Amino acid sequence: MIDFTLLGELLPVFGQAALRTLVLVAVGMAGGLVLGFAMNAARETGVRALTALYWAYTTVWRGVPFLVHLFIVYFGLPSAGVRLDPFQAAALTLAVYSGAYFAEIFRACWQRIGRGQIEAARCMGLTRRQVFTHIACPQALRASLPLIANQAILVMKESALASVITYPELTMTAGKVVAEQFVYVEPYLLLALAYWALAVLINRLGGYLRRRVAL
Amino acid sequence: MNAATLLERLQAYLPVLLAGAAHTLLVSAVAIVAGFMLGAVLLGLSTARGGRGVLPALVSVYVSFFRGTPLLVQLLMVFYLPSAAGLELPPLAAAMAVMAANSAAFQCEILRAGLSAVPGGQVEAALAFGISPRQVFRYIQLPQVARAVWPAVVSEAIDVIKNSAIVSVIAVADLARGGRQIVAANFRPLEVYMTVGVAYLLMTAAVFAGGSWIARRMERASAASTRVVNRTAIRT
Repeated sequence: MIDFTLLGELLPVFGQAALRTLVLVAVGMAGGLVLGFAMNAARETGVRALTALYWAYTTVWRGVPFLVHLFIVYFGLPSAGVRLDPFQAAALTLAVYSGAYFAEIFRACWQRIGRGQIEAARCMGLTRRQVFTHIACPQALRASLPLIANQAILVMKESALASVITYPELTMTAGKVVAEQFVYVEPYLLLALAYWALAVLINRLGGYLRRRVAL
Repeated sequence: MNAATLLERLQAYLPVLLAGAAHTLLVSAVAIVAGFMLGAVLLGLSTARGGRGVLPALVSVYVSFFRGTPLLVQLLMVFYLPSAAGLELPPLAAAMAVMAANSAAFQCEILRAGLSAVPGGQVEAALAFGISPRQVFRYIQLPQVARAVWPAVVSEAIDVIKNSAIVSVIAVADLARGGRQIVAANFRPLEVYMTVGVAYLLMTAAVFAGGSWIARRMERASAASTRVVNRTAIRT
């Protein structure tokens, strides 16, 4: 039923593709975390225009499918003069899309910090900025870790859609093998196992980080 | 490119996009409802006999697989693997089946979390008062579980609508597919895909608004029953 020699031949190909998926996810995650943190910090300033920007960003980017965002960036932006290659388009879209989710994660963790702590710190003469960096940041970031690990798995899953705009990551590689060699079972089996393994890996990594930073 | 022609173009897109949106809503509705029922069955299987044995292990593998792999991969597998065996699945049926199976894994976990929100003491107290297990479920567990899981179910419904765009890859004529068709004909990707994006945003926003409205009504009902209990409770 399953051709193990074929499986052996496919392994190195899939290994390379998995590496490309990992790089894409890592770049998207890094961009998303920075953007999400910046958006939440902007909201925390309390400036009304920034708060409105925060709501517009998180609502629009979380309310529309990733695939449609990807189409707008990859197929739509060239007519506005911005031409991106598949990797750039996928990484950028992944970063901005996951950034909206990370912003919401940070917001939830920031709002979980007791008002009393903030008020006490302000009474002691700490500035808003000092409260943000010394009181809120350490607690909120620690609380956000499990949620970030969860989101990382979602980012990894969304990255499969980069295959639709022809970035040769895992899913596209499997599709190519299917189209070229007319075998179905082995590539799809390997594909599902690869993603599953990545999900378990990210989960483990998240657990490890959580234990590292636990008080 | 003046405003009138843009408006005219949008008007021309409308029938295609509406037909696509109808398919998107159909697939999503089937996925959410069938996913809920299948999720409940999965939860029942995994908690049967104290959660030990082969069945609960199988359920956890099922949940882990559907939550740990991309929907696109699941869709490709279900669509192409049977065709390797000479079995042709119609795209729409394959899309609905995969989306429902996928959502079931998520809704199973939502229900599991919701069920644990009802303290065991309440059930024991009710049974001790001679209330039948059926009534305990109907009047004590169900309202509280419903309230606890509702926000998560609404957010899952929004995820399902968004994920349903992926079914366009296997040629289901949904909203995203409609956008691709229009672009193939007029080569205006930016405005067409942004219009498609707005259409999705309207659908997810409507589900969110409706879900929040029902959540508020459930909160009010809960507050009212708490007041009744407080008024009639025997004070010690």
